[in-house]
Amino acid sequence: MSSPADQLTPSPSRPGFGVTARYWLLILPALALMIVCYIYPISKVLWLSVTEPRPGLDNYAMLATSASIQRMLATTARISVISTLITLVLAYIVSYALVHTSERVRRWMFLGVLVPLWISVLVRAFAWFVLLRREGLINNILISSGLVDAPLSLIWNETGVLIGMVHYMLPFGILPIYANMRDIDQRCVAAARGLGASRAVAFRQVFLPLSMPGVVGASILVFIFSLGFFVTPAILGGGKTLMIAEYIKVQILEIVRWGVGSMLAGTLLIIIGGLLVALARVVDLRKLFGSI
Amino acid sequence: MNERNSIFTPTRRALLKGGASLLAAPAVLAAGAARAEARKEVVVVNYGGAAMKAFDEAYVQPFAAQGGRMVLDGSGPLNGKILTMVQSRNVTWDICDCGVTTLAELGPRNALEKIDYSIVDKSKVATEFAYENGVVNYMFSSVLAWDTAKVKETPTLADFFDLKKYPGRRMVRKDSQAMLELCLIADGVPLDQLYPLDVKRAFAKLGTIKKDVLYWNSGAESQSLMRDGECVMGLLWHTRANVLKAETNNRIAYTFKDGLLQPGLWVVPKNNPAGPEAFRAIASMQQPEGQVKLLTAMGNGPSNPAAQSMVPEALRATNPADPANAAVQARINAAWYIENHSKTFQAYLDFISS
Repeated sequence: MSSPADQLTPSPSRPGFGVTARYWLLILPALALMIVCYIYPISKVLWLSVTEPRPGLDNYAMLATSASIQRMLATTARISVISTLITLVLAYIVSYALVHTSERVRRWMFLGVLVPLWISVLVRAFAWFVLLRREGLINNILISSGLVDAPLSLIWNETGVLIGMVHYMLPFGILPIYANMRDIDQRCVAAARGLGASRAVAFRQVFLPLSMPGVVGASILVFIFSLGFFVTPAILGGGKTLMIAEYIKVQILEIVRWGVGSMLAGTLLIIIGGLLVALARVVDLRKLFGSI
Repeated sequence: MNERNSIFTPTRRALLKGGASLLAAPAVLAAGAARAEARKEVVVVNYGGAAMKAFDEAYVQPFAAQGGRMVLDGSGPLNGKILTMVQSRNVTWDICDCGVTTLAELGPRNALEKIDYSIVDKSKVATEFAYENGVVNYMFSSVLAWDTAKVKETPTLADFFDLKKYPGRRMVRKDSQAMLELCLIADGVPLDQLYPLDVKRAFAKLGTIKKDVLYWNSGAESQSLMRDGECVMGLLWHTRANVLKAETNNRIAYTFKDGLLQPGLWVVPKNNPAGPEAFRAIASMQQPEGQVKLLTAMGNGPSNPAAQSMVPEALRATNPADPANAAVQARINAAWYIENHSKTFQAYLDFISS
């Protein structure tokens, strides 16, 4: 693989205007578009966070001083971690099945993974609402079959938020893990079995380590999505699960404390950037996102 | 403060202009181009839905009959959106359908025009709801509603907090406004002595039933939680309670007793494009006939005292501003909200999410 530095070296045959420089010109419009539509507005938002209501780092100091912001961030982190863990376990099982099943079954399974991805998150949250509510399908089945005698509280709390979030995140967990597992040479497992390893040992010592890059990639992808999640907690949380996205919405649109809202947006950006940098040390990011 | 916060680039103005000129074209032909050009169009923003048709009949058509041009936009005038427009000097709205919290958040930020009471007639509103930066457009109430399938007798507001007497989940709004007042009334504070609100006491009262409370965000959500039987009692807008009552064949009932009477407000963003024409539109909307139409269509109570006597007998019970209903309710105090809204709302969100 050539490093970016190699590509940047101008061709010696045409000094001043190398071949690679012309290629750079090709991406110039895209770069300009990025700056105007993406980097400029984001820098404006970050600028607000250090100038509203007065210049300085007062807004960022609230991260240390405001109990309510700390609690909200803790809720966000807790829910994101839990939903990421559950998603990873489920996604791993589904991916494992996908890799080891027949082509025909796999096609149907993929349909099951991808179709939800194309349905609006709002519709999916309301679908859970229909299933999970007190007189919903799940509670009715549980009660009529005698498993429980009072309806379970499956919604309007963190349970509901987690169910809805995990459901939304699953495809984002399955796809990277599957892509990774697909590339694992099955002969390695066969070789381990041939050398006398039990099924469990072969999985634990050969397959599992080889599938770790996919798991790490999926975890970071799902975790980042979870951090900024808005719709599902707002609809399924019964108003009690306050996460960062909704907190920002309230600050910006309702009590117009733009400084606090943009500070939190900036904080989220920094955390995600930090996570990506940390991840880049473990796996090849380009391969990860390109392989989806 | 940043001079031009052009984070958002509103193009709605251009769109509306295009739409308005299409709509206005026949009027121009009929009335003569000169006259139609002379009066600027007024963009009125509300929260959409059923309000679009109702506002059109109650306000847009009468104003057109007077030679004015009013265009409705149902995209929802949230405080943050109005402030963005004003600060980026790209105001596309002339009149916004807001509430007391808008006075609280945007008044001090100098984002609202002062109401021109030489055009808007103060004698056509209850004077207590005619503020410097906003004037009442209709009245609504936050009321107690209950599911008659589970609560047999008429409950009081105190019963809302009595889980022993009426077990089951309760529903309140995810907004401190009105909810704190109702907590305090339930705790025994007389209707006329609510303000300044004893926020701590209100939280303590709500805390007694916290485990059994669901919080609604949108009006539609409040309806579905009651309709689906998720809650046995709820505190919600009377307009929504009224719709629920009709669509459930009286299974859901509500009462104005111990409710909180609140004004919906017209506010005008600073440097609005239509200028003073906005106030002429507001004056036009003070006519009682249109307000009674709005009551019939949506349950919004007339703000013009002269309209109360024009309300048909059958609708009096649903009119929050009807003298008989107003007498049993508390009234919101805008001055207190201007001082306290931001921190109280924040504290409320902290309280319910902790």
